[in-house]
Amino acid sequence: MKKRLLIIGIMLLGIVLIFPSAASFAKPIKVLAQFPMSGPVGTLPEFGWGFIDGMDYINGRGGVNGKPITYFLEDMRYSPTVEVANFMRYAAAEKRDEFLMASGYITGGLKPLIEKVNKEERIPWLDGSYSTEIFGPEGGPSKYPYYYSLGATYGDQMKVLLNWIKEDSGGKGRVGIVYSPTEWGRDPLEVTRAHSKKIGLPIVAEEEYAYTATDATPQVTNIRKAKADYVIYHGYSAAPTHTAIFMKTARQYLKKATLLGTHYTSGPYLILTCGKAADGMVGVLCRPQSDDLTNPMVKMSHDFAAKYKRTDGIKDFFLYMEGLTYTLIFHEVLSRADKAGELTREGVKKALDNLVWDYHGLFAGRGFSYKSHTIPMVRVYRCKVEKEVEKAGKKVAVGTWTAISPWINADIELK
Amino acid sequence: MEWEEMIDLIQTLGAGLLIGCVYGLLGLGIVIIFRASEAFNFAIGEFLVVGSFLFYIFFFDLHLPFLLALPLGVLAAGAMGALIERLAIKPLLGRSALSMTIITLGLASVIRSSVQLIFGAHSYSFSLELPDISLEFGTLLFPSERIWAGLLSVIAFGFILFFLFRTRWGVAIRATSESQSKAMAFGIDARFILLMVWALSSMSIAVAGVMISNFGALSYLTGIAGFRAIPVVLIGGMDSIGGALIGGLIVGLCEALIGSYVEPLGLVGFKDVAPYLLLLIVLFIRPYGLFGTVRIERV
Amino acid sequence: MLSVENLRVVYHDVISILNGVSLKAAAKEICVIIGANGAGKTTLLRAVSGMLDLYEGDVIEGDIKVGDSSIQGLDSTDIIKRFGLTYVMEDRPVFWYLTIEENLAAAAYSRWDGAVKGDMEKVFSYFPVLRNLRSQKAGYTSGGEQQMLAIGMSLMTRPKIVLFDEPSLGLAPLITEELFHIIERLNQEGLTVVLVEQNAHAALSIGHRGYVLENGRVVLEGPAAALLENEDVREFYLGAGGKERRSYQDAKRYKRRKRWL
Repeated sequence: MKKRLLIIGIMLLGIVLIFPSAASFAKPIKVLAQFPMSGPVGTLPEFGWGFIDGMDYINGRGGVNGKPITYFLEDMRYSPTVEVANFMRYAAAEKRDEFLMASGYITGGLKPLIEKVNKEERIPWLDGSYSTEIFGPEGGPSKYPYYYSLGATYGDQMKVLLNWIKEDSGGKGRVGIVYSPTEWGRDPLEVTRAHSKKIGLPIVAEEEYAYTATDATPQVTNIRKAKADYVIYHGYSAAPTHTAIFMKTARQYLKKATLLGTHYTSGPYLILTCGKAADGMVGVLCRPQSDDLTNPMVKMSHDFAAKYKRTDGIKDFFLYMEGLTYTLIFHEVLSRADKAGELTREGVKKALDNLVWDYHGLFAGRGFSYKSHTIPMVRVYRCKVEKEVEKAGKKVAVGTWTAISPWINADIELK
Repeated sequence: MEWEEMIDLIQTLGAGLLIGCVYGLLGLGIVIIFRASEAFNFAIGEFLVVGSFLFYIFFFDLHLPFLLALPLGVLAAGAMGALIERLAIKPLLGRSALSMTIITLGLASVIRSSVQLIFGAHSYSFSLELPDISLEFGTLLFPSERIWAGLLSVIAFGFILFFLFRTRWGVAIRATSESQSKAMAFGIDARFILLMVWALSSMSIAVAGVMISNFGALSYLTGIAGFRAIPVVLIGGMDSIGGALIGGLIVGLCEALIGSYVEPLGLVGFKDVAPYLLLLIVLFIRPYGLFGTVRIERV
Repeated sequence: MLSVENLRVVYHDVISILNGVSLKAAAKEICVIIGANGAGKTTLLRAVSGMLDLYEGDVIEGDIKVGDSSIQGLDSTDIIKRFGLTYVMEDRPVFWYLTIEENLAAAAYSRWDGAVKGDMEKVFSYFPVLRNLRSQKAGYTSGGEQQMLAIGMSLMTRPKIVLFDEPSLGLAPLITEELFHIIERLNQEGLTVVLVEQNAHAALSIGHRGYVLENGRVVLEGPAAALLENEDVREFYLGAGGKERRSYQDAKRYKRRKRWL
């Protein structure tokens, strides 16, 4: 008798122990994130680190209301083909009610997937592209209901730059644009030309400059001939040598011009590769300075980096923060969808569309609404390179990007 | 031609000549190895990068003054060239020159990956900050960096010429380049000479590399510029030292002219292709290059 | 001074050229080696001077000695430096694109002493015609001048033993005579000479000792004067002999059978 009671007791205990983990036997939550961690825009592993560390942290705290997030992380090498291929693979392999969100990082990858993502899979897709074509006035949520950009469109960024130039030059500036012969590079040109006409600021030179170039002299000489005194450099990342070559050549030949850049060009990495040549550059960023510890989100990223022991390996903190940002928005939106009882692709989409959020303080406390499917916060910064300083035994050019404008909500405040 | 157009032309020609000197130095690196062993060093880009990184260590990491860092870096590059010769080329002595050439292809991959392993894949800021000697007359502008590049390249070229034609090692190198067997018969250790040749070549490529890195940043990708040497030596003549300089200047001018006058017409990137087209034309007329072997044959 | 003992040399691992050659060159002697083409004379000299490697040859048996030390297997540069043995290759081994002066300087490369200039003067005194041509590229000089230059270059290495490989090849008789006078003179001044020649008469005339090489073997040896008189040598190498004119009827047996086979 006693033996039988004992056996039943153990069985009951076993069942009781199994049930809480039964919650994890509920259907898994899967997301796919893709970043350009190698390739023509440089070697940028920090994206992946930020993402992984973020996911670790979130899953460690219970994930989405107790359910862990299963994530797939891929390096798409800044190639649209690779990005598309990766997505197709996962979309075919995973179940619709488990694979809930995806992210990408190249304008060129959005176009081929329009049908697949928006009509067929109907899966919310976040992207690091700020493409004007997809997210700007010609595109937007009505055309691409499942595409979301994690920043302001390049068109908006250029408009902000042009407005700044007008102000800085008293209306007399002559603008030259150097862009990469890629989707990314060409993306904002229409909008830029239109806006420049609108505000009466002439664009006197447009130069293509390829990633494979080893010399920028022809482009710079042409700009010099056109007598442009404000040169916008768009469609390039700060890491690779072609940027350093351009910046230095521009500095040598265009002694009095102001160089400007859009989101992915401006930033601390530029100082690292270009040194003095970056001094005085004006850039527009969709994120705060990665060393601005007064910003709660920035501080959180630094804490993460310290906690996961990444600090020494990180060359460009912005990239690490970016990876982290993706994790946070995945988590935020999945949680909201789950709370509303709709942990499905549609539920996630609804959560995104109705999102009004301050992104953990990312924009100095200002919130934004995701109605336009873009996070339209931009800020203008200026670079100042101080002399070189000893840092870990090496001589490193040290500089800062100082904000010279408040956070501008492009949806609301840009005319 | 209008005055402004004239100025443009001078600007373009000047820029072309200055960069041409650097290309000539690269060509020299190829030519002296080719003369000694009939092998084409396809790893020239990688030698460029390694030489630049060695200089980087002396100048940027150890903060030595430029006048000290440059010779040290160049000597280190020479030592590296000698080491590579010992490890990869010497075992092939007596085999065909084709084998040696193919080995350099493999060498290129190995060196490129090693550089990435040791120095990482990112770009290193590279600013020599030499005294400003830019020339500016009105709209004409020759930036200091470019003038330094041309100047130092010509000086390096001169050093090597002096070494080859006015020193006993130079005589020995030229003798061995002509005939290894005759050299050995008269007591010239052809193997050591080959070592010296690779070291000399690495040194010239290193100087060119430092100049090229100074134009932008240094990373394992900077070596792509090394391939400019191919049209340089094929146009100038694979075994002609003077031809290397002339070939370099021609390629430099070609690039500059195409970049200024043809590219704006929409053919972006054409200036990288143009030297090869020019090369085809030259080879049509002079198959051995402009100054290739003038054979002395006794009839 | 120089002795070769039972030397067997093979090319490319399969072609046997020397099949057991033994000879001696005494100090201050002119040792002549004659033989038909393909007999192995050049191979012998290459083996002695340490140049076989370059031609993918191997010594598979036997030894080469200078004095009491074996030099078999040593590098040519070693042999020149340590034993003063220099090889003047066949067909005028000069550097065509270097000037005559540079040629002499190149040959002196292995020496570190400062007497190079002095030695160059000495060479010019042996060959005054070279002095006038000193800044000319060697490739533009005549055959005889090139041969003189080659001999001059060998002198720049301060040799004790010099191996000459067919120096008279392709040269006019007068020049050949001059060359051989010079070789004799050098020998009288103390140089040991090994002279390989096709021109058997001129060589044996100045030589002390002679060897006949055939199919990789020494088939006859003796004092040079004796060889000059030897009937077989006369018929096969000196072009004399065959006392009567033979008619074609006896054509089958027109060739005198060599006694040493």
